[in-house]
Amino acid sequence: MEKAIDPRFVVKGCENTDKEAIVRPTITYAQDAWRRLRKNPVAMVSLAVLVLLIILAVFGPTICGQDYTYMEPALKNQPPSAEHWFGTDLLGRDLFARVCVGARVSLLIALVCTCVQVIIGCIYGGIMAYFGGWVDSIMMRIIEVMMSLPYLLVVILVMLVLGNSVPSLLVALCVTSWCNTARAVRGVILQLKSSEYVMAAQTLGASPWRIIIRHLLPNTMGILILNTATSIPNYIFQESTLSFLGIGLQPPDTSLGVIISLGQDAMQFYPLQLIFPAAILVLIVLSFNLLGDGLRDALDPKLRK
Amino acid sequence: MLKYTVRRFFEMLLTLFIIATATFFLLEAVPGDPLTTRAERLPESVAENLYHKYGLDKSTMERYVITMKGMLKGDFGESVVMPGYDIQQLLKETLAPSARLGLQCIIVGVGLGLILGILAAMFKGTWADYLIVFFSVLMISVPTLIFGLLLQKYVAGELGLFPIVGWPKGDDLWFGGWEYTVLPTLSGCFSYVATYSRLLKTSMLDVINQDYVLAARAKGLSEPQIVRRHILRNAFIPIITVLPMSVAFALTGSFFIEKIYSIPGFGRYFIDSIQAQDLSIVLGQTVLMAILYVAVVFVVDILYTVVDPRIRVGGRT
Repeated sequence: MEKAIDPRFVVKGCENTDKEAIVRPTITYAQDAWRRLRKNPVAMVSLAVLVLLIILAVFGPTICGQDYTYMEPALKNQPPSAEHWFGTDLLGRDLFARVCVGARVSLLIALVCTCVQVIIGCIYGGIMAYFGGWVDSIMMRIIEVMMSLPYLLVVILVMLVLGNSVPSLLVALCVTSWCNTARAVRGVILQLKSSEYVMAAQTLGASPWRIIIRHLLPNTMGILILNTATSIPNYIFQESTLSFLGIGLQPPDTSLGVIISLGQDAMQFYPLQLIFPAAILVLIVLSFNLLGDGLRDALDPKLRK
Repeated sequence: MLKYTVRRFFEMLLTLFIIATATFFLLEAVPGDPLTTRAERLPESVAENLYHKYGLDKSTMERYVITMKGMLKGDFGESVVMPGYDIQQLLKETLAPSARLGLQCIIVGVGLGLILGILAAMFKGTWADYLIVFFSVLMISVPTLIFGLLLQKYVAGELGLFPIVGWPKGDDLWFGGWEYTVLPTLSGCFSYVATYSRLLKTSMLDVINQDYVLAARAKGLSEPQIVRRHILRNAFIPIITVLPMSVAFALTGSFFIEKIYSIPGFGRYFIDSIQAQDLSIVLGQTVLMAILYVAVVFVVDILYTVVDPRIRVGGRT
């Protein structure tokens, strides 16, 4: 630097040679997303509601001190009271405890299925995008066939073969669900592979590992988190509708779907038995959807300010 | 273009073949056969005859070949569970109610959704926008099932405005008996309203910031003209690619609404016949749905090129 300056000129008041240095602390992608999510009141409220619901689902039966399987024949179809917060069902079981346990099962099914879907979808989509060519087209055909098989056919057959239980419901729901994730991941990686900033990183001499960790992964993360946020309500829906059709779980196993379909039988005279579980289900799904919307805005690098 | 169409056609046939095969073997994988419970109560010789009648005494591979050959001629075989019925007969009776319900849901739902989407995009950031967004999120969050049950209980049951169950028959099959169709249509259309209003809003907001909209504005076009001739035309591209898929799914009926309102549609038989392992019916319905699905994907690909000249068929695989 010193030599480049013409001796006829004198440097005055500008000795600071490291003015190019970045003074502000660098913010990682996750920190930035979290910072923007925190400013979104709707998303934060739904996050709080979700946390509350999860706490209820886990500790609810303990809090109200009722057992969800205990039947009291003398107290059938009770309206809500201090002892039975949501009343009792047609077998005299405490509805609040049942809804909590049902929500627990439904949430668990949704979370496990989503994890499986994301993991398989990521690996499958990654392989498709990485290898390309004929591997890609064969794997794509497989997805097409799986997606055009009617969803109910696959689910009913799996449940027939494996029996009505939580694990077989998990398998049935996961069999074809990963296809969309795989397609989304493939699309993103293909797009990213040829994008300018990946090329720039390569030109600057970044190692493939660094490109994968710093550039490809954070950008697929957005899609994956979104996929998760939309999948969870979807699975909760599917579980409840399957149970309603009599294909999903069956008593004594319980879930929101099972309770809702029992509530439908009692709907004519005791509508609260349908409305309470339905309201909890809607609340869970609504908060996941709103949180998902907030996450989409927070994770989109284009909306960064 | 012709070469592409021909290739796609053969790919479609291959996909259909694979789906039919997969359905056949999936049904085979389930333990037991459709006659097990009936045969137990019958004398042995009668049971044997029964098995022979439906060809169930042959080996799996033999039956596979027979089924596939029959399928090529359009003959899916006789239903095992509903004697005297075959898939054509069943479709003749059940497809019309399902299709009418589906079409009504689509027309009402998509129409309403598009209007709300346009309003939300035009009044972005105002209370109207927030209200529409809130309602569309709420509509996605309430399952069709619960909508249906609540509407049935309160609007039909308590208020008595519409019949609780039932569906127009005979001469009223397509046009008539509207009071029966109001609640099922209403319960079915909400998810479309939500999906389409969100979709159109996002795609309109994408288009609004384009230069050609700015140019149109600079030319002094009136706001309705800009929306109609410049924004909507381009914002409709994603809608057009999604709509055929919705129609295909709607035509084959929605199982839950049919079950709640006791509509004699396609969906109910689909579930029953899978549980009864009634191969001929399941295969027929699956192939029908697959044909619809594959045909729709094909139509969408062609539509893409018609609507958006930037996409050329040749380069796509």
